[in-house]
Amino acid sequence: MLTVLISNFPYLMRGAVVTLCLAAVVVMFGTLLGTGLGILATSSSRTVRGMITVYIFVLRGVPVLVVMFLGYYAFPALGLRLNAYVAVGLAQIVYVGAFTAEIVRSAIMSVHPGQTAAAKSLGMRRGVILHQVVLPQAAKIAVPPLLNNALIAIKQTSYASVVGAWELTYAAREVVERTLASFQIFIGVMAIYFVICYPLSLLARWYEKRLTIAS
Amino acid sequence: MTDYFAQTAVLMAGLWPKLVAGFLITLELTAAATPLALLFGLLLLAPRMDRRAYIRAPAIGFIELMRNTPLLVQIYLVYFGLPLLGFYPSEFVCGVAGISLQHGAFLAETYRGAIESVDRGQWDAANAIGMNEHKTFRHVILPQALMKILGPLGNQVIVLAKDTSLVSAIGMMDLTMTGKMAIERSAASAEVFVAVAFFYLLLTTALGGTARAVEHRVAGRY
Repeated sequence: MLTVLISNFPYLMRGAVVTLCLAAVVVMFGTLLGTGLGILATSSSRTVRGMITVYIFVLRGVPVLVVMFLGYYAFPALGLRLNAYVAVGLAQIVYVGAFTAEIVRSAIMSVHPGQTAAAKSLGMRRGVILHQVVLPQAAKIAVPPLLNNALIAIKQTSYASVVGAWELTYAAREVVERTLASFQIFIGVMAIYFVICYPLSLLARWYEKRLTIAS
Repeated sequence: MTDYFAQTAVLMAGLWPKLVAGFLITLELTAAATPLALLFGLLLLAPRMDRRAYIRAPAIGFIELMRNTPLLVQIYLVYFGLPLLGFYPSEFVCGVAGISLQHGAFLAETYRGAIESVDRGQWDAANAIGMNEHKTFRHVILPQALMKILGPLGNQVIVLAKDTSLVSAIGMMDLTMTGKMAIERSAASAEVFVAVAFFYLLLTTALGGTARAVEHRVAGRY
């Protein structure tokens, strides 16, 4: 029963490595982009705020798969020949960035306005207030949802296989097409994803619990 | 410039009926999977909160497995696995089953979180005035949990509606697949994207609005 899974395990593990690399890049740059935009979303400029609000609203209301198809086909239409990983990766970064921006924005908004007022009355400048007073408090609130967001991003990398980028799920489909052992292979692949995601899941939950106890 | 508008208008006129047909499939999937996921979450809740570890453990195992693996692989497992057992369900059934399984697991945790967030003192107080466990749950805990649950529940349904796009991976002509085909044929990727995004935003904002309206009404009742 399990021989199919065992004999194809090295091949699947190569897919898992690609999944991990893709996930690492997407989570890292998506979080960076989203954090920047989330901070900008609390700026005093109405135009900047409006633009970021539209960005967040559109991307959060649309499936990631649609954005990935756009990324995959839009660049060649513009005359840019990008490799599938770059196109899919960029699309996912933009998507994850929108969710991150919303998390960071609402974390900043949830810091009590009295904190900013107090810092102002001490004569601190805007940038210093943000950096020394608001962001440290917001970061604490934002960590659990950001970890959950990263978890979703990792699982979403599997959708790259639909667009045509080779990674763990793509590899699994290849093996199933060759061997027809759909149960063993897909359950095996679920186990691999589980091993990747579950520790992060536990970390998010542990951190959340710590925060609730602290407050 | 006028050429561009004329061309886009022709493209959209041809595309519109197809996108509407795809949108209807997306709506059907959402309408079928939402109640099933809500129900499945409730079915998982009882064993998940059971005091006996041997009943709780399999429920936890299942929920964690569903929550920590991609929905796409789960749909593949249903779609490519069931024929081996002699069942040949349609793509629609497979998609709805996969989506309901994962979202049911997420919802079970949402329900549990809401119930457990009601203060222990509420149980003790109800006990002190002589209410039994069932009555306490029905009249004291549930109304409070319900208030806390509606927000996350609405969010989960929005995620579910977007997740229906994954049925395009098993060959259904839903909104996403229709959009993909249109982009491949016309090379007008940005224009098609705007049209597809419009339909999805229509669905997700309608769901979000409904969730908020329900929340408002329930808040008024208690």
